[in-house]
Amino acid sequence: MSHGVLDDIEKCMDSGWTDGLPVIPPYGSLVDPMLEAMGWRGQDVVGVIAEQSIKVRAEQVAAAAVMAGCKPEYAPVLRALTQAILDPLFNVSGVEVTTGGASVLVIVSGPVVAALGFEHEANAVGGANSRVNATVGRFAQMLRLFCGRGGGVLESHGTIGHPGRLSFCIAEHPETVWGPFHTQFGLPAQASAVSIMASEGPNSCNNHYAKIGAEILDTVGDCMMHLGQTAWYYRSSGFVVAIAPDHMDLVRRDFSRDAARQYIYENARRQTDELVKAGRIAIPPLEYAEVEFGAMRTPLKFIEQLTFVECGASGGRFSAVIPRWAGSRNVVCKQIEGL
Amino acid sequence: MSKTMTVKLPAKQLMSCGEVSCEVLVNPIPRPEPDPIKITLKPKAPRVTLLDHKKPNSLAILQFTQQILRERGIEVGDMILQKDDASTPMPAALLASLSKEPGLVLCGVSD
Repeated sequence: MSHGVLDDIEKCMDSGWTDGLPVIPPYGSLVDPMLEAMGWRGQDVVGVIAEQSIKVRAEQVAAAAVMAGCKPEYAPVLRALTQAILDPLFNVSGVEVTTGGASVLVIVSGPVVAALGFEHEANAVGGANSRVNATVGRFAQMLRLFCGRGGGVLESHGTIGHPGRLSFCIAEHPETVWGPFHTQFGLPAQASAVSIMASEGPNSCNNHYAKIGAEILDTVGDCMMHLGQTAWYYRSSGFVVAIAPDHMDLVRRDFSRDAARQYIYENARRQTDELVKAGRIAIPPLEYAEVEFGAMRTPLKFIEQLTFVECGASGGRFSAVIPRWAGSRNVVCKQIEGL
Repeated sequence: MSKTMTVKLPAKQLMSCGEVSCEVLVNPIPRPEPDPIKITLKPKAPRVTLLDHKKPNSLAILQFTQQILRERGIEVGDMILQKDDASTPMPAALLASLSKEPGLVLCGVSD
């Protein structure tokens, strides 16, 4: 590498063109092939953030993809991911500036996982040390940062944040027990898809000695209802459970996906008065928080707010529970075309 | 503790220069392209309107604000307006209504 390139990396770092890590400088000679692979022309408007009067142009997205270290062959995923992040339902500016310190959780599912070589086994929820996982996840966070901040005039107010704000991409097993993740959002099983939601950091969920699936689901449910869960006061977002093979081997014997969801919805509940006593419910309660004093309270307002993604390696009895950000009302799921 | 508010905007343009020529790097950061807007620097009426966006404790803070301002002789609307929640943009109808408000609108407070 020439000193010129190193100088350009430093220049990007010093000028706000970075997520905090060194980037590939967005030379036109690298951005043009990325644009072509994405199927856009440079000045195409690929999204609008109306509240910030921002039009996002294709060359800006392609530059971010280059800077994140993506290869042009990832373009079908990046194109769908861009459309998802800039979908008004995702509310990218809200995700960026919230005190909740949210990231963009990216879930890739279907044949694309094998086609592009995503790591879906070891360390699937984070830190898989796989280029495609790391850079696709980083690209998503860069779009959040670059597009969500109103051109730099807004600030993130994240109170504590989490490491996923640099990269957070989960690839699902190509072969699933309960059907691909995206079938929970109406896409056909044979499709490839990218799904995004704003999320907090993952909680590891361990159970090495359970003998039946219900014990695994009880452990997952308990993880969802600790006192500190953001969900208690609004219940407006939801949870993703990343279920790994050893836990799935037990759960699948007694539960379909819908049955597992129903089981957790019914059983993962906590006494409302205990939540009030701990300061987790506003007094007087907000109307839409639907607080019933004396009743057992679920952190889910609707059962559909709980979803499962099948990933991870065999040989350890771990899963993970990922709480979505309180303002993450929508999972935006886009089919990947052109693979 | 708050940090010093010195926001440094990202660069609009970066050049990569060799010995004989320069190349413009592609800017990844979109910037606002607003239509012309009119900004009123001083409220036309000495009145405060409060808007609750329903963050935790926001209503309590606004009620306290209402009380303090009144004790200081400042006119404050009786009704504290409500926005559905803090995580979503301001509804267009509410924004249009607030834009006609001649006094000061205070919103976005929370602990």
